[in-house]
Amino acid sequence: MASTEVTSTVHSEWMQYAPLIILLPMMAFAVILFLGRVFNGHPFWKKNLKEGGLIALPVMGASLILSLLLISEFLKGNSGVEDIFEKMAWVNTGIWNGGSTTESVSFGFGIYVDHVTVMLLFVASFLCLLINVFSIGYMNTDPINDNRNHRFYAEFVLFCSGMLGMVLADSFLWLFIFWEIMGLCSYLLIGFYYERPSAASAAKKAFLTTRIGDVFLMIGLVMLWDLFGSLDYAVVFDTHNIEMVAESSAGTLQWALGLMFIGAVGKSAQFPLHVWLPDAMEGPTPVSALIHAATMVNAGLYLVARMFPFFGAESLHGELDDLAFIIAAIGGITAVMAAAIAFVQMDLKKVLAYSTMSQLAYIFTGLGCAMYLANTLDWHHDSDAHYIVIVAFGASLFHLFNHAMAKGMLFMASGSVIHEVHHAHHHLHHDDDHHDDDFDAQSMENMGGLASKMPITATAMLIGSASIMGLPLIGGFWSKEGIIANAWRVAQDDPRFLFPAMCVLIGAAMTGFYMSRMWLKTFAGKPNNEVAAHVGPTNIWIKTPLFILTFVTLSSVLLAGMGFTHWAADTEYSFLSEKNLIDGILYEMGHAFANSDSFFFILTYVAIFLGAIVGPGVAMALYGGKLADGEDTKPWMRPVIRLSAWVNDRFHFDNTALRESSLAVALENRLYIDEYYDKAMLNIVAGFSNKVAEADTEVIDGTIKAIESGSQSLSAVVRSMTTGSARDYILMVAVGTLIISLLIWGVA
Amino acid sequence: MSKITTIEPFTKGFVEAFSPELILFTGMLLLILVPNLGKGTFRIPGTQLRLPWLMGGTRFKFSSDPRLPAWIASITLGSAFLNVLYVFSQGLDRVLIVSESGKELFLINGFSRIFEMIFFGALALAAFSSMNRLQVKGIGSKVSENELYNNRRQADFYILMVTCALGMSVVALAQDLFVLFIGLELASFSTYVLVAFLKESKVGVESGMKYFIVGSVASGVGLYGLSMLYLWAGSLQFSVLAATFAVSGTTALPMIGIGFVLVGFGFKVSAAPFHFAAPDAYAGAMSPVAGVLATASKAMGMLGLVRMLLIVAAPESTDGSAVWLVCLGVMAAVTMTWGNLAALGSDNPKRMLAYSSVAHAGYMLAALTAVGAWNWDAAVAGDASAAAVAVMTALLFHLVVLVAFKLGAFLVLSILESEGGASRLSSLGGLAKREPLLAVAMFIFMISLAGVPPMAGFLSKLLVIMGIVRVAVGDMGAEITDGGIYALGDMHWVWWLALLMVLNSAISVFYYLRVVVVMFFDEPEEGREGPLPRGWQVRVAILACVLTTVLVGVAGDSLIRICEMAAQSLNYNW
Repeated sequence: MASTEVTSTVHSEWMQYAPLIILLPMMAFAVILFLGRVFNGHPFWKKNLKEGGLIALPVMGASLILSLLLISEFLKGNSGVEDIFEKMAWVNTGIWNGGSTTESVSFGFGIYVDHVTVMLLFVASFLCLLINVFSIGYMNTDPINDNRNHRFYAEFVLFCSGMLGMVLADSFLWLFIFWEIMGLCSYLLIGFYYERPSAASAAKKAFLTTRIGDVFLMIGLVMLWDLFGSLDYAVVFDTHNIEMVAESSAGTLQWALGLMFIGAVGKSAQFPLHVWLPDAMEGPTPVSALIHAATMVNAGLYLVARMFPFFGAESLHGELDDLAFIIAAIGGITAVMAAAIAFVQMDLKKVLAYSTMSQLAYIFTGLGCAMYLANTLDWHHDSDAHYIVIVAFGASLFHLFNHAMAKGMLFMASGSVIHEVHHAHHHLHHDDDHHDDDFDAQSMENMGGLASKMPITATAMLIGSASIMGLPLIGGFWSKEGIIANAWRVAQDDPRFLFPAMCVLIGAAMTGFYMSRMWLKTFAGKPNNEVAAHVGPTNIWIKTPLFILTFVTLSSVLLAGMGFTHWAADTEYSFLSEKNLIDGILYEMGHAFANSDSFFFILTYVAIFLGAIVGPGVAMALYGGKLADGEDTKPWMRPVIRLSAWVNDRFHFDNTALRESSLAVALENRLYIDEYYDKAMLNIVAGFSNKVAEADTEVIDGTIKAIESGSQSLSAVVRSMTTGSARDYILMVAVGTLIISLLIWGVA
Repeated sequence: MSKITTIEPFTKGFVEAFSPELILFTGMLLLILVPNLGKGTFRIPGTQLRLPWLMGGTRFKFSSDPRLPAWIASITLGSAFLNVLYVFSQGLDRVLIVSESGKELFLINGFSRIFEMIFFGALALAAFSSMNRLQVKGIGSKVSENELYNNRRQADFYILMVTCALGMSVVALAQDLFVLFIGLELASFSTYVLVAFLKESKVGVESGMKYFIVGSVASGVGLYGLSMLYLWAGSLQFSVLAATFAVSGTTALPMIGIGFVLVGFGFKVSAAPFHFAAPDAYAGAMSPVAGVLATASKAMGMLGLVRMLLIVAAPESTDGSAVWLVCLGVMAAVTMTWGNLAALGSDNPKRMLAYSSVAHAGYMLAALTAVGAWNWDAAVAGDASAAAVAVMTALLFHLVVLVAFKLGAFLVLSILESEGGASRLSSLGGLAKREPLLAVAMFIFMISLAGVPPMAGFLSKLLVIMGIVRVAVGDMGAEITDGGIYALGDMHWVWWLALLMVLNSAISVFYYLRVVVVMFFDEPEEGREGPLPRGWQVRVAILACVLTTVLVGVAGDSLIRICEMAAQSLNYNW
């Protein structure tokens, strides 16, 4: 019990420090919380330690460095090598097992590293560090957070620890444990301003909605346990074990995985459990939003990606294609729906929230298609099929990476905008006491023309938007094309997949529109009001992460050239392949723009046309415009703004009618889905609950009360026999002796 | 297991085997001598010459320290405990001590050692924690620290503690009913006096008197039973009795004899209907003493029952189960229900704990019944003996961990007692505000008593219930292996005891949690808002209890293994 037997499958130098990646933030959580309570308000704590921000920073830095060492070792040592395991026994007890002490059930914690882990580990630790830097610039400069930032940083590091733990865990059980830690932290962080009713209810909503998914996830895990007798990856991904299960209960396995997928739907805010994500923007701007956009929501994707070995298993060939379709279809629905809602949002962060949903949906579609391909193609023996499967899976993971980076940047940039708008407003209305009540610093109505005021932020936002839109050569382009192409490839095999394939294609155009709209409304044109005209530049803590992420997003072409899609997905592919970098990039370029297959050739250009020309074009026509007179911006943004002004001049049309149409109203009301849920809750659940409560008070409580009062009076009788007189006690001894004699006599 | 070594007293190996008892004996002598050291002189008759002989007269500074006896007793009992623990860690040597004429007197094996561990542990904790807490004026009266120190009867109290331990360990080792009886009476008399120790208070004397009278009657009946057994077998040796019982065990004389012995031990474990004096005694005694009664003394009674019922009257009746089975089953059922029901309405925390300990006695009797449900003799290998060992393990484990949380709860009460009584539930009021750690400790003890995971009490209860069920299910093993139809009715009826235990546990949660509610949600009684009386010793003892409760609950493997070893050593006569 609680012994620490360490058995390592593959010995490695940095592996032994891997638990520190999780443990350091977890310890920092306790330290920050404790010190924050003790030194709250102390000048040193506030100024020099940034209320814990500078404790969290080195810890997250250490986590990142350890992660990088682990990753580099994995990539170096790994060319066809098995995954790295490390295991520590946690609960190891046989006493629970039917009273026998011989058979033991062990719940050990171990580290499991494979390609998917490595990719997500980097995304999580890298973004967590950048968010940390950003928070110091954002949280500590806002007087509303004074003397409670330690709570923020404590919850933040615990959150990071949960995410990193989930990624590194070696069993679904621990994945679930860390998953729940994250769920708790997201609740706490969304409700950071718990004195605001909207924040409190948003936190509750997020918690409850994800909980619905989690319950299904738990049921799925229990079923999985029932099938395999373990939740360790080493056991459940074992080819032999999968074969045994496939023989007898492939259908049950599909159900188990399907239920687990519902958990992922909740966590990654997919239809129909998406309602919590927009509300989650109530958290401290934009850090909690960023967490909910760039890291936590990836947990659901990670879970689905983890299931890949089941889909790819030879013995389950063709058994799981229905589930793959469901995954792709849910992705398709969400991609279009979220994009449509994003059309009409005025709140900068909400646009990004819906864009997150939509882009995650892309990844789900991509994963679903990859799963389908893996499940139906004979990819273990056919090298062409192998290539297709790997590229499909890799494209999804690559999009996850690109999206996380770009969306992280966008959220930080939006936070920067909101921060400065808020400050400008504060500055302008210095004497006004209640100015915060009717001013919304997040609304794009209060922005416009900020490109000249905040050039770095505007650039970051531009690059990020381009990456999300999939403008050729930038960031998400490489992965998005892959997802669309694979969706159509699958659609050729299986007509069911036409639906998600259409969805992602239309979604590309919609993405182009709403992202451009957001950028133009914020940065182009003339300032919409006095406040926007007085916005100033941001501080260094905010600029640094933006700068770094801009660079990462731009360099995604290099990653593509290095064969990211291959080594993120393929266990047999070695990092830094035979091809050199230039060849790699040229190969990817050729593959993207001059595909030999005419179908995919046309598809590529249709997608580019929709995403890079139609969508942004319409947005420019509606919202484009020159900056105010005398304002100028950086040279690389000038053409964009001029183009938008030109398009606006030439093609501007009046969309008032469109905006007042019932569809637009419905979209503004989020398609009434929240209302339906509320109604369903009120009428069905609450009605049922009331009935149950009635039954509870009358029948159950009544019975319990009766039992209670009955036993109390019985107790009085029993106690009254303890008279306090020794004579009576002796009498009872005599009676007892008699009874004992009689009983023994009777048996004898 | 090692081969048995047979030695005579005071020959080679005796000191090693008997070392805990020798430590106790030395401690007892020290307790008598050291506090009396002084500048006393002795005048040689007929001369003026005075020889200093160090006894009496003006005490030295160190020997007049009122805490000295407590230290001596704690160190004595503690080192006896550590000695046993050390022996366990070294692997056990089995030693049989025989008289010159070859009669078996003491057997030292895993089973007896684990009981020694319980006794010494409980008494050491009680002695250590009552250091400088002995009151002059009786329970419920406020006394200054000075008055506490000046209790001149400190030494008496701790001598009684040590003799009690000595008596109990004799019971643990005895291989002869006569030796066992002597040990039993030595321990009992010590506890009678300890209960009535606060002679200044009326309630203490009264309860001690009642406890003594009822206890004497029970002992008398038990002794009568012993004499019948002697009459029948011509010996009181366990080995002889067991052999004789196998031949003619079902005749009237031994039956009545065993029934009477059951009464004697039934009083010790406070089984219904012999438990009546127990609540009075617990309520009247000082809390640490009550804690000893509820743990060590109870373990002693249980030990006697195990020896009597499983060694002497081993289950060998025609259907494989024991002759006393129905009798003990009924006793277990009545005891646990009675105890829980009575505790339900009790407003006095000490009485409540007393009744709860009656209920726990019922659980343990149920476990014992389950062991007797089968012929578990070593000759019958396989499931039967494995199941019996499992239940026995559970019983031993329960007795061991009970020391931690039962005694711990009494120790918490003892702190309240020294600031003016703990005889009402409301005296616990607001404990969470007054001393949060103490309240948390009490909370842990309560939920452990109720059997809530992950506390030790949960594990012990789980093991007992699982063991009983295993015996009951194992009874229909034939049906299961044949693949035939089996129903609830096919199970042995001890299964119902397990069910009753579960129901009783549910009842018990009510009164345990009531204590918690009072501690955390009620306001302190008037005049008790201030800080609690000081005293680090009792808090250290409580901390030890808390740690044991939690750690054993979370990581009980090694303790379970020790208990299993002890159970096997009983079963296979290792």
